[in-house]
Amino acid sequence: MGEPVSGYALEMRHVGKRFPGTIAVDDVSFEVRAGEVHALVGENGAGKSTLMKILAGSFDDYTGEIAIGGRVVLLHSPTLAKHHGVGMIYQELSLARPISITENLLAGRLPRRGPLLDRPRARAQAKELLAFVGLDLDPNLPIEDISQHEAQLVEIAKVLGNRPSILVMDEPTSALSREEVERLFAIIGDLKRRGIAIVYISHHLPEIFRIADRVTVMRDGKKIDTRLVAEVSREEIVQMMVGRSVKEFYRRDERAIGEVRLRVRGLSRFGFFHGATFEARRGEILGICGLSGAGRTELARVLTGLDRADEGSIELDGKPVRGSTMADFLEQGISYLTEDRKTEGLAIRLPVEDNVLSAIVDRLSSAGVYSRARGKPAVERLIGELSIYPPDPSRTVGNLSGGNQQKVLLAKWLASEPRVLILDEPTRGVDIGAKITIHTSIEKLAREGCTVLLISSDLPELVGLCDRVMIMRKGHLIREMQYSECTEESLLLAANGEGAAS
Amino acid sequence: MRSSGRSSLLALGDKYRIYILFVVVFAVMSLTAPKFFNVLNFTAIFNAVTMNATVAIGFTVVMICGQLDLSIGSVISFAGVLTMGLQPVLGFAGSIAVAVAGGALVGLFNGLLVTKAKINSFIVTLGTMTILQGSIYQFSGGNSISVTTDEVFKISDFLSKNIVPLITPQVLLTIVLVLVVEFVLRRTRVGRNFYIVGGNRTTAWLAGVPTDNYLNSAFVLSGVTAAIGGVVSVLVSTAATLKLGENSLMYVISATIIGGTAMSGGKGGVLRSVVAIMTLEMLYTGIILFGLGNEVKIFLAGLILAYVVLYEAYAVYRHEKALGQRPELMKELAERASAARSRKSAGA
Amino acid sequence: MSGTSPAGAPAAHPQRPGGADSRALRTGSFSSIVNTAGVYAIAVLFLLLGSVLQLTGAIGNFLSPQNLLNIVDAVALVGIVAVGMAFVTYSGNYADLSVPTTMGFTGYICIELLRYNFAVALAGALAVGLLIGVFNGFVVGRFKANPIIWTLAVNYVTMGVIRLVWVNKQIYPDMVGSQQHAVALFDAIYRLRFFNLIGLPLVILIVLVVVGQFVLARTSFGVKLKLTGSSPRAAKLSGIAVERAVMWSFVLVAFTATIAGLAVTSLSRVGAWYNGAGYDFKAVTAVVIGGMTLAGGRGTIFGVLGGSLIIGILNNIMTLLGIGTFSQDMVRGAIFIVVVGINALSLRRMGRDDA
Repeated sequence: MGEPVSGYALEMRHVGKRFPGTIAVDDVSFEVRAGEVHALVGENGAGKSTLMKILAGSFDDYTGEIAIGGRVVLLHSPTLAKHHGVGMIYQELSLARPISITENLLAGRLPRRGPLLDRPRARAQAKELLAFVGLDLDPNLPIEDISQHEAQLVEIAKVLGNRPSILVMDEPTSALSREEVERLFAIIGDLKRRGIAIVYISHHLPEIFRIADRVTVMRDGKKIDTRLVAEVSREEIVQMMVGRSVKEFYRRDERAIGEVRLRVRGLSRFGFFHGATFEARRGEILGICGLSGAGRTELARVLTGLDRADEGSIELDGKPVRGSTMADFLEQGISYLTEDRKTEGLAIRLPVEDNVLSAIVDRLSSAGVYSRARGKPAVERLIGELSIYPPDPSRTVGNLSGGNQQKVLLAKWLASEPRVLILDEPTRGVDIGAKITIHTSIEKLAREGCTVLLISSDLPELVGLCDRVMIMRKGHLIREMQYSECTEESLLLAANGEGAAS
Repeated sequence: MRSSGRSSLLALGDKYRIYILFVVVFAVMSLTAPKFFNVLNFTAIFNAVTMNATVAIGFTVVMICGQLDLSIGSVISFAGVLTMGLQPVLGFAGSIAVAVAGGALVGLFNGLLVTKAKINSFIVTLGTMTILQGSIYQFSGGNSISVTTDEVFKISDFLSKNIVPLITPQVLLTIVLVLVVEFVLRRTRVGRNFYIVGGNRTTAWLAGVPTDNYLNSAFVLSGVTAAIGGVVSVLVSTAATLKLGENSLMYVISATIIGGTAMSGGKGGVLRSVVAIMTLEMLYTGIILFGLGNEVKIFLAGLILAYVVLYEAYAVYRHEKALGQRPELMKELAERASAARSRKSAGA
Repeated sequence: MSGTSPAGAPAAHPQRPGGADSRALRTGSFSSIVNTAGVYAIAVLFLLLGSVLQLTGAIGNFLSPQNLLNIVDAVALVGIVAVGMAFVTYSGNYADLSVPTTMGFTGYICIELLRYNFAVALAGALAVGLLIGVFNGFVVGRFKANPIIWTLAVNYVTMGVIRLVWVNKQIYPDMVGSQQHAVALFDAIYRLRFFNLIGLPLVILIVLVVVGQFVLARTSFGVKLKLTGSSPRAAKLSGIAVERAVMWSFVLVAFTATIAGLAVTSLSRVGAWYNGAGYDFKAVTAVVIGGMTLAGGRGTIFGVLGGSLIIGILNNIMTLLGIGTFSQDMVRGAIFIVVVGINALSLRRMGRDDA
């Protein structure tokens, strides 16, 4: 489980995974040595998460071979993966909140003396694990009483407790402060010395240059290249992540951009984002770019009336936005397409028609009486416009493909005829055909005078569609970039806090 | 999780809150209620409490697993009716065995529906509660069943005679059960696993804990302790009234939550639930001693339950609101506020 | 992901959803109709069963007008409560277990106020019932308390109030101080018969069913409730005031519970705390048999009526067969678990999380 037989701790050879409609991972081969930190980078949708899920044992139908410590293994279940020495640390922690640190760390294998628990030994083991991640907490504290950062370290300690030979860390620093990041890096250094092979998934280029030995870039499910960090530049990595420039792909019709429609001043929601100030115009597509955890969704939620701002103002067409509920904001023309279509955007058990009309129930009603018939033409029209397949309004949304579900979600918000439409990751997990349809629709919407705010981690999308892009980082809007300045490289660098004026 | 660590003093308070409450209520009642502070009263309290305390043992374990068992009240009555009703046929040994086995079976049934059919525990136990109620009345023909042999009076006397002041065999049995289960929960791996199953079922499963088995065991334990509670109670009173477990559900839920076991699971303890039951019972006894009627007691009991449920829901509501705050942004705010304050005092 | 098609390419050919089953269950109004028809088919089946049993001599007069009338009267009471309960279930909040004491409590209030006049008594009872509904709706809607536990707690509290105020006594409409006229009207609640046949409760039931079905299927409130029941998070993020919708559903069940409570109290001619006993469970069972899933967002009021019919007919058959009332409770409980279990298993097989 620990010692590599061949030179590599982990070898993935020609590994692949298909989903209905897409190839998520396409013939990827890469290897990691013991004691190496190997960074895995790529855009959202590049396939790196799926590749790591394969390693974690989430699928039993992947193609290709995986060898750990020189021996080929079958990683068909999470238990098997753990057994073979794979440790996964995700962004969402897998700890049990009300339970003590000790019992989380040693879950299922608390030390015993005879039939009873050996509490001193458990405590000692827990302290040992905690010491390794530099935590000096009382192990009897329940997880709900420690900070988020400490909990993440406990999670790491817990995974380490299983003595993995391979450790995969997925975006570990997105919610951390500078000091906490330093702490994490120190731990990673220790792990390297212990001979653990680490796969480090991140968007943060500066970190990768600090911590990683080699870097593998993925794009569109394929591996582009593996390079030594010492022998590659930031720009080269970005270039590999992003491919050739895509400005030609997005044909840009002339769009008339009108007067200021949305004016936001000093908007803050304490603890989530502070001091957001910007303007957006009629017919404009304004992008909001940032790494995960930057506060983009929180900003969107306040702009749309879901959450209350603690300070600042929002003005629509010169007048302050009235009311305090999402329904009020919706009525005045601000709509929000949510990030998560399955649980927040759509009622997955209901048919297409019900979902498309779900945001305009009051508009279709007079004196409380709802007229489904009044909404039918809009449904038919939108199904056609967005090429929703199968074009059947009574089909349960849950039975559609991801791309079609997303189109239904978009249709719902198009039906609300908004003046300002905020889109949150509108093409995540969507096949290329649906993506093109959605992009065309967004452009059409802007051309018809709607103001579009586009929150996205998909850099080509931002570059191709937006007239301007705002960069958000750790709760602040740090800069604004015009269309001419926007390339995927420059956006990514800016989001990382680098670049011309960070 | 909090954005900064909590002081361990507060955390301690959470755990021992019920003991403090116990002492406070005891002190207040002793000082103010007439005839409260005497051995006879305490004995009465102890004995009144044993049935619900026994039931609370299993119920607490179910709640630790994050589930609910609404059928306990009817299991109590069911076991009582079986004990008395089958005695002529099977003798006490037999009827008691059947009663306890019946409780276990009901528990197993509940558990299987929750783990295999994946129905919510409160729906399932609501259903079994109704079925049991019906069967109780059917079996007994709507009357309470009593046995009037010499044997039963001997048993009853035995159970209610003081071994030591305050402690009768009836009470002793409950104490033993409580201590045993509490011990297992705190000091054995099996016991701790119940907490993990309730705290985060996926985590437990991924750690190799057979979560379905634990859930089923919790429900079986609940059924068994409810049955034992009913059995002992009817043996002492020599009659099985149909309304035996009527108010138990309300008392036991309130007490368990007040004692620090959350409906969301993963924390709590049997000893705490039992202390909570005693605290509530002292409160109710005090009310009676003040001259207020039984009705006040029931009203108060319901009020306490409502308050407890509301409190827990509100706590969850508040927690959800603060989820996701960035600590450094909050720090920024604090700095801004203190800067403004110092500017103000400088300018003043 | 990145550009592979040249600029100006037409929208790609619509993707076939891989793995999507073209025989997939079609939900929406068609399946609801079939579902509701199915419920009535079962009701008819039970009628046939009763007839067959009568023919074979197993039971007495099943098909006699008197007996059928009895069935209808019983159905009316359960049905009235069930219509209100359906709204709570539809909204995804399972059930309101405070119905029994709401029924009893409003009965008491009404009788107490008969000393003034009937209108006042009626208004007073309704006001109290609605207050309970608002309270429940607020706690469950706003603070998301577990609806079963909360309404159970409210049930206990109301019981406590009843016993506190009336100190375990039952009160009678024709006690000293009540207006004769008011009492007569009160009696009539249960006893008024149109054409010597159709009781007032039945008429009320029919009205409630028609209005209820309309509200559920054809008003903006009903649509919002459906979305709330299907996916509360998505509903909230569609701008729907989920808390308000839930509030109204609890008010509705309290309203119907009040009406049923007055009818039952009128029938028994005594204000007693046990007047509403068992109606919560009977109503939930009717709702579930009638095609509503406990997860919410699915079902019709017509279905609920059918469910009430089935329960009423079944009860009657059991009574005629000599099965005691308490065994009937057992059967009802068993049916409840079976129906819920079947729902849960079949929907799980189709890959959805329902109960």
